[in-house]
Amino acid sequence: MRNLLIIISILAFFPAMAASAGPREDVIAQLETLAKSDDANFSGFDAARGKKLFSAKFSTGKPETPSCTSCHSTSPKNAGETRAGKAIDPMALSKTSDRYTDPKKVEKWFRRNCNSVLGRECTPLEKGDFLAFMISQ
Amino acid sequence: MSNKKQKIRIWDLPTRIYHWLQLLVVVGALLSGFFAPEWWLGIHVWLGYGLIALLVFRIAWGFFGPEYSRFSSFIFSPKTLISHIKGIKEGKPLHFFGHNPLGALMIFALIAVLLGISLSGLINLGGVENQGALAGFVDYATGDIAGKVHLFLAFALIAMIFLHILGVVVEGKISKSNLTKSMIDGDKPLLEGEKAPILRPTLFVPAILSIAGIGLILVVGSVSMSKVPASGFIAMPISQTYQSECSDCHIIYHPSLLPKNSWAIMMDDLSEHFGEDASLDDETRDIIANYLVRYSAENWDSEAANNLLLVDKEKPIQITATAYWKLRHAKIDEEVFKSKPVRTAANCEACHSDAKTGRFADENISIPKPKKQP
Ligand code: HEC
Ligand code: HEC
Ligand code: HEC
Repeated sequence: MRNLLIIISILAFFPAMAASAGPREDVIAQLETLAKSDDANFSGFDAARGKKLFSAKFSTGKPETPSCTSCHSTSPKNAGETRAGKAIDPMALSKTSDRYTDPKKVEKWFRRNCNSVLGRECTPLEKGDFLAFMISQ
Repeated sequence: MSNKKQKIRIWDLPTRIYHWLQLLVVVGALLSGFFAPEWWLGIHVWLGYGLIALLVFRIAWGFFGPEYSRFSSFIFSPKTLISHIKGIKEGKPLHFFGHNPLGALMIFALIAVLLGISLSGLINLGGVENQGALAGFVDYATGDIAGKVHLFLAFALIAMIFLHILGVVVEGKISKSNLTKSMIDGDKPLLEGEKAPILRPTLFVPAILSIAGIGLILVVGSVSMSKVPASGFIAMPISQTYQSECSDCHIIYHPSLLPKNSWAIMMDDLSEHFGEDASLDDETRDIIANYLVRYSAENWDSEAANNLLLVDKEKPIQITATAYWKLRHAKIDEEVFKSKPVRTAANCEACHSDAKTGRFADENISIPKPKKQP
């Protein structure tokens, strides 16, 4: 009987455990590792810096897309729109709950969008900050 | 009993109904063909089917109908024709109850042209639009030629309609009778002292049997023929990779909308994709490139694929830069493209509800009303 209770409680908690070390956390953790190896003084991602990156205007990228807000709208909580008129779900985690869970997808879009907007890859620090901002929203 | 006011029934009720219905159908078809926007094609085609039904009736009536509806009653020898023309010149025309020899020629010519128009329209519909009974049997090039024949015959028909009306007016003047009136009430007056000729009656049973028989063959035949898949379209598997990787920024373009060289060029450099970086890992890119090249415009015989083969030299990867695309969309206001819900010319699905299938059928076009930006 006691054994059964233990098994049931483990089963009941298992999904919660999975969520606490889920794919999104893996994405962040990996960015943290990279950020640390770039800069020994790295002390965590900062949503405020991420917010700046999100709204800043750049002139180093492609002229069609000066800012992340060109497509993702000026507020993370609003739906965005691509240049070809297709809707983009809000970037804020509170609005689109399945965001930033697929490491390949996250990497693909950082590569593309940073290249389009900044004209270069984003650093792990910039990526982590951006995600910290979106997760806080 | 005075024989002064005696009349003779020339056109029976079915023939008169046929005549005026045909006028309506032909005028409707001409108007919808020349002036209506593309998406009226369905109406034009249904008028065409109506015309075919009327012609079936007319031909059956030409064999089994009442005397003056029968073809045999208005096949004249060249001699009669010549003396008829001479008579008109001399102001002493021969008298005919039904069609006179010149009018009869016009009737045969009209029936022939109407049959030709119906057939060329059906071939055009099957070959170019990949619709209708012949969709599975006619290729684009044949359909395109049939379209030109269709147009030529339509102009010929307009000319013939005017000649026909002219003939009615002239003959009416010469014979001092109102031909239009007799096509309404069916009667012509007997001349003084003229004896009513002996008329062959309508053979209703063979007439109805032949109309029903031909109608059945046409309907069953064309319904079963339209079950044959359209020849312009090949079976294409759906590529999940293409569907998911190329649909984040815009609609999924049907592979038939660009030739294989264009797809190859596009897939070669996705990091410079219409002002954006759309790059992919090499493996995914190769899967999509192979798929697009395999099902490129060269492999289809649809209207869009045939015409989009010729891409712009400067912008070979842009569908909306092709001469054909620009020509077909020249009449659309720039504002319509820019404002919601269209947003961009590249958003084909906003106006073409069948864009996904690569068909771009005329009936499936509708331009949404521009919404004011909030
Ligand atoms: C040209 C339009 C455009 C611009 C500019 C743009 N994005 Fe995006 N972004 C997209 C699209 C489209 C998607 C994929 C659609 C989706 O995920 O809903 C996307 C997805 C993403 C994702 C992945 C989201 C996820 O769920 O995994 C991230 C991260 C991202 N963008 C970051 C950025 C950053 C950072 C910038 C500015 C440097 C930026 N984007 C600018 C169009 C854009
Ligand atoms: C990051 C966003 C993005 C992604 C991903 C993307 N495209 Fe595009 N694509 C665009 C933009 C922007 C345009 C230009 C739209 C316009 O003219 O309004 C475009 C235009 C096109 C056009 C030409 C439309 C025209 O105007 O004639 C084709 C074809 C096309 N893309 C194919 C693809 C294919 C194939 C893929 C997948 C490999 C793909 N796109 C992925 C952004 C993207
Ligand atoms: C703003 C609405 C709109 C958009 C967007 C649009 N079209 Fe069209 N398209 C039309 C209209 C209207 C016509 C008919 C024009 C005419 O009267 O000939 C047409 C005609 C066509 C035809 C010829 C159809 C036929 O049978 O005659 C093709 C092919 C076509 N469009 C392809 C495209 C493609 C491919 C795209 C996207 C790259 C596109 N269109 C985007 C409105 C649009």
